Amino acid sequence: MSVDTTKKAETMNRMLEYAVPLLGFMGVFIGIGLLTLHAAIDVRISIIGCLLSSFVLAYLAWIRPKKDIVALSTPIYSIIFLGFPLDDVSTVVLDVLYAASLTFLLVRLRNRFGASGALVKDKTELAEPIKSYLEKNRETLVSAGPESAHSAAKVFVRFAQGDFLAAAGAAESAIARMNNASTLCCLHNAFAIVQEQAERLDKSVPQPERFRTFPPEDVGVLAKIADPKANKAEMYDTALENALILIFACAWTASEKDRPHLLQFQTFVLKLLD
Amino acid sequence: MACPESLCDLVTKIEILGIGCAKCKRLFRSAKRKISIVAIAVFVFFTIILLMASVFSSKIQSQLILLIPVLFILLVIPVALNYMSRSQYADLEPVYEAEAKTVRVKLINENMIGKPVRIEGVVEQVYFQFLNRPQYLIADRSGEISVKMFTNPTEDIKVNDVVEAIGKVIHRYIVSGDPVINCVSIKKLKKTEDL
Repeated sequence: MSVDTTKKAETMNRMLEYAVPLLGFMGVFIGIGLLTLHAAIDVRISIIGCLLSSFVLAYLAWIRPKKDIVALSTPIYSIIFLGFPLDDVSTVVLDVLYAASLTFLLVRLRNRFGASGALVKDKTELAEPIKSYLEKNRETLVSAGPESAHSAAKVFVRFAQGDFLAAAGAAESAIARMNNASTLCCLHNAFAIVQEQAERLDKSVPQPERFRTFPPEDVGVLAKIADPKANKAEMYDTALENALILIFACAWTASEKDRPHLLQFQTFVLKLLD
Repeated sequence: MACPESLCDLVTKIEILGIGCAKCKRLFRSAKRKISIVAIAVFVFFTIILLMASVFSSKIQSQLILLIPVLFILLVIPVALNYMSRSQYADLEPVYEAEAKTVRVKLINENMIGKPVRIEGVVEQVYFQFLNRPQYLIADRSGEISVKMFTNPTEDIKVNDVVEAIGKVIHRYIVSGDPVINCVSIKKLKKTEDL
C-alpha cells in the first residue's frame, strides 16, 4: 500500500469515526428541537441520525480483520427502532441512549479490535513488512528465473493450504529441476527445508534430533535471524518460517503471473514474519 | 455442580465393573458432570414463578399436575440435547484422530479452512464453560489460537492444562474473521515438555 493510499485511508477512517457520534447526537438534537418547537414534522424522523450512525459503525467494524459482532449488528436494532414507533418523548430518550451506546461501541471497537482492515490489508498490493523484505532482496530473488519462481508459488500455496504432502512433492520436483539449471542456492535450501518439514507434518511426526537449516552464507537473504542461544525447537520453527517467506518472496518477484493468486496468502506471510 | 445420585451410581458401576464400550463410558462421564448452569437457572426461575403464582392463584393450583412435569421438561431437554451432541462428537472423534495433521499454531491460516488439524499447547483462557459451549485460548511456542467447542468436553479443562485439541479450521464468524478451531476432541496431556 502506498504512503498516499495509507494516508487517505487513515483520513477516511478518522472522518467515519467522528461521524458515528456526530450523526447519532445530531439526530438527538433534531429530535429535541422538533419536540420543543412543537413542529409539524414527526419527531421519529430523528431516529434516522442513529440509523446512519449505526451503519457507519457497522462499516468500521466490517473493515477490521477482527470483527466485532456487537458493532456489526447495530443497524438491525436501528431498523427495529424505526419499525416500532414510540411516543415523542420516548423517541427522544431512546435517541439519546442509542447515540450514547453507539459512541461507547465505537470506543470499544477502537480499543479492543485494533486498526481498521483498510490500513493493514490491501487487495492489490503487499503490506509493508513483506514489501521491505522484497525490496531488500530483489536482485538476488530475480535471478531465480520464472520457472523456479512458479514452482515456488506452487510449493507455498500448497503448504499454506495445509496440503503438506503435495507441498513436499512440489518442493522435491522443484529441487530436481533446479539441479539441472544450478540456480539460486538459498532457494534450493528453502525448498529442501520445506520438503523435509512438510513430509513430517503430513505424517504428524515430531521434530527430529537433526534437521535441515540454512547455511551461514544464506543469512543475508533470510527474514528472521535465529537467536544463537535458541533451543532446537525454535531453530526448527525459524528454519521453516524463513524458508516459506523466501519461497513466497521469490515467487512474487520472479513470477508476475502468480501475483494475483499469491496476494490471497499475504496474511499468512505477515503471520510468519511476525 | 451436583448431579442426580442415581446417575453418579450408574457411572461408578460402569467404571467399576468395566462394562460398556469406550464411547458409552465417555458419554456417561460427560453426562454425569455437565448440566449447564443456564438450564439450572431457567429451571429455578420458572419454579419460583410457578410457586409464587400457585400461592396467589387457585387457577394455577388446579393446573399444577400439568405444570410440574412441564417444569421438569425444562431440565430434561437440555440434558437430552447435551447427550445427543456429545454422542455425535464421540462418533466424529476417531475420524478426526485419523485425518488430522499435527501443526503448530502459527501455521494455521485462513487458507486452511475446512482442514482437520491437531494442536498441542497450554490453555491460557477458558470462556463460556458455564454454557457447556466452552471456548479455549490455546498457546504453543509459535502463537495462540481460539478453540471453540459446541458441546461439553469429556474432561474438565482448566487454565494452564497442557492439552491436545483436534478439530477443523473454521472462520470465527462462519464466513469471515480470523481462523479458529472447531474442536471435536480436547484431552489433557500428561507430558510437560516445552511446547
